[in-house]
Amino acid sequence: MEHKVSYALYVLQEPVQYICLAFMATMYAIKIYQLMKKPGPPEKAELKGDRFAGSMHSLANVLRPWGMESTRNDLFFYAEFMIFHIGVALTIGSTFLIPLAPQIMTPLVTQIIMVFMALAFLIGLRRIYRRLTKPEIRIISSPDDYFAVILMTVFFAVGFFAMWLWLEGRPETGYMWLFFLMTTFFLLYVPFSKISHYVLYPFGRVMYGQIFGGRGVLNRNAK
Amino acid sequence: MNSEKNISEETMAEVANSPLEKQAEEQSKVAEKLGMPGERKWPTKTEFSPEMLAEMEKILPSKLNRIVQTSLAGCVHCGLCSDACHYTASIPDDKTLLPAYKADRFRKWYKSRYDWLGKVFPSFVGAKPLSKELADEMYDKLWGGCTMCRRCTFNCPMGVDYGMLVRAARGIMCQVGRVPQNLQDTVDTHYNHGNNMAVPRDEFIETIEWIEEELQSEDGCENFKIPVDKHGAKYILTLNPREPKYYPLTIQASAKVLNAAGADFTISSRYWDLTNYAMFNGIDPDAKIFAQWLFDEMKRLDVEYLVAGECGHGYRGIRWEMANWVGGVPFKITSMMELMAQWVQEGRFKLDKSVHDGKCFTYHDSCNIARSGGVLEEPRIVIRAAVNNFVEMEHNREDSYCCGGGGGALAMPEFAPRRIAAGKIKADEIRATGANVVLQSCHNCTDQLKEICHHYKIDAKVMNLAELLSEALVL
Repeated sequence: MEHKVSYALYVLQEPVQYICLAFMATMYAIKIYQLMKKPGPPEKAELKGDRFAGSMHSLANVLRPWGMESTRNDLFFYAEFMIFHIGVALTIGSTFLIPLAPQIMTPLVTQIIMVFMALAFLIGLRRIYRRLTKPEIRIISSPDDYFAVILMTVFFAVGFFAMWLWLEGRPETGYMWLFFLMTTFFLLYVPFSKISHYVLYPFGRVMYGQIFGGRGVLNRNAK
Repeated sequence: MNSEKNISEETMAEVANSPLEKQAEEQSKVAEKLGMPGERKWPTKTEFSPEMLAEMEKILPSKLNRIVQTSLAGCVHCGLCSDACHYTASIPDDKTLLPAYKADRFRKWYKSRYDWLGKVFPSFVGAKPLSKELADEMYDKLWGGCTMCRRCTFNCPMGVDYGMLVRAARGIMCQVGRVPQNLQDTVDTHYNHGNNMAVPRDEFIETIEWIEEELQSEDGCENFKIPVDKHGAKYILTLNPREPKYYPLTIQASAKVLNAAGADFTISSRYWDLTNYAMFNGIDPDAKIFAQWLFDEMKRLDVEYLVAGECGHGYRGIRWEMANWVGGVPFKITSMMELMAQWVQEGRFKLDKSVHDGKCFTYHDSCNIARSGGVLEEPRIVIRAAVNNFVEMEHNREDSYCCGGGGGALAMPEFAPRRIAAGKIKADEIRATGANVVLQSCHNCTDQLKEICHHYKIDAKVMNLAELLSEALVL
């Protein structure tokens, strides 16, 4: 199946995305530089465990729902979390595959991505509802928290319809334009938003793992 | 102190053997001023003033290490910490006790200064410049609504270290004088007198001598000793000042266990206080001074192991933080909990579990010993060796709920009602075990557990592990 698009959409899908990606990468580099300038956590005491094993254990925490009581006791929430984030990864991945490697976007691959987009959309709706209705979540929520989850939820919906029409052999539709316009906005906005939490995630998890792994609390088998 | 460091062991032995010199040394023990020279009274304040807020703005950057910055910037407000905190678990109607909410009192200020979007559109990301109202909320929530137990940290997908974050905020507030008076008095007393209850050296020595006599009056303990200032011993036992002051039997129990194990130990007559309330008020220079005193005693007495008595934050302070504060330590550090477990496993004790028959035991993991300290199985080794009937609480080891007495909470009477209310989840778990003895290894936990058992009408005694083991010893 050939997916020919206008020059204008090509510009949006490629050069504009590259420029915005470079901007995002620059912002992240500055963010990481500012963080790394700060003194790290010292641990000069004789260790009881293994700091490296602890950090690896901690990084992989996301794959162990039994690892934290907060997820152990609410596996449904954990499943939602995983599907939502897989949906994010696949949706972002598709913005690269569509212009750069459309041959990979076979009907099967596209349908799989669409399934995750649909599920992530539904989970997004539930998260918006949860944030609006649960008093303990509402009290900690800022406009950025609402905006981020609403934006992602709309992104999934737009992406889903863009993929649907893509499957029908219509690579240039209003949905596809909107999908890539939103992607552009994301690349510019995310470094400033809470959505950039994934940049801090490895730092937070590694430091946590180093401290509590070294003290023999985590990964006790590594002692 | 420096001249003492230079005295060789031979000279010390000669000094000990000369009657005149011995008398002089005895007199110097009484006369020596312990603690820092002079008296310090931290200038505490009852309200935040504009000048204090301006000063806090200046201090903030110095408190932002990599962990604190990641913890301030990394929260995604997912709310998974909501069930992790003993405050929210015990007082579910007050949503302002949610860990993320409490931390946000500090985070809002941080974002107003460091978050890119927060500088331009503060309300969009929940940023707020520091104001008296925000500082008052910080004071209320971060002194009186958090024990820095890190249970929320263990349940945070992002690894936000609330303990470090709260300590940084407390340090900033304390530096400008906004610190709970009683907590700061405890630090000042330690600073001025060398221990946090201002126990004079002669009184301490007399107490130890009296405890030794009491110990020797027990069956089978006639030859047991509590050596003070013994040079070259293998272990030096550090104590919580509550022990010589209010709980001398715990020293007696520890000494009995150490003697029964055949341990070569001593206690310093100078700096023996293992507590470090500067961990709670966030003032690192003070924390370093208190740690340095113990460090110097280790060198003065040339001891191999620094042994933490049964004290939660004291254990963490010397086991994990001391090396960071003083720049590394050339000696080994352990604890009574770990030593007792090791000696049980080595078969150094003959124990009669039947002395504890008829009683049901449970164990409360101190947050600083278990979650932040890594001493998880050792207490259980001791308990299983000494009793027949031991029941774990629903949440135990690193999942244990804080009793509510951590983070210096017991030294903040203004927050006492909230502290007792926050102990409900722990009281419920104790009650569910059916235990009539709650074991623990921390003096702050002891006091809080006693209070909550009384308040929630649980008929249970609270005791530490050395007391448990000493009663089961067959000598």
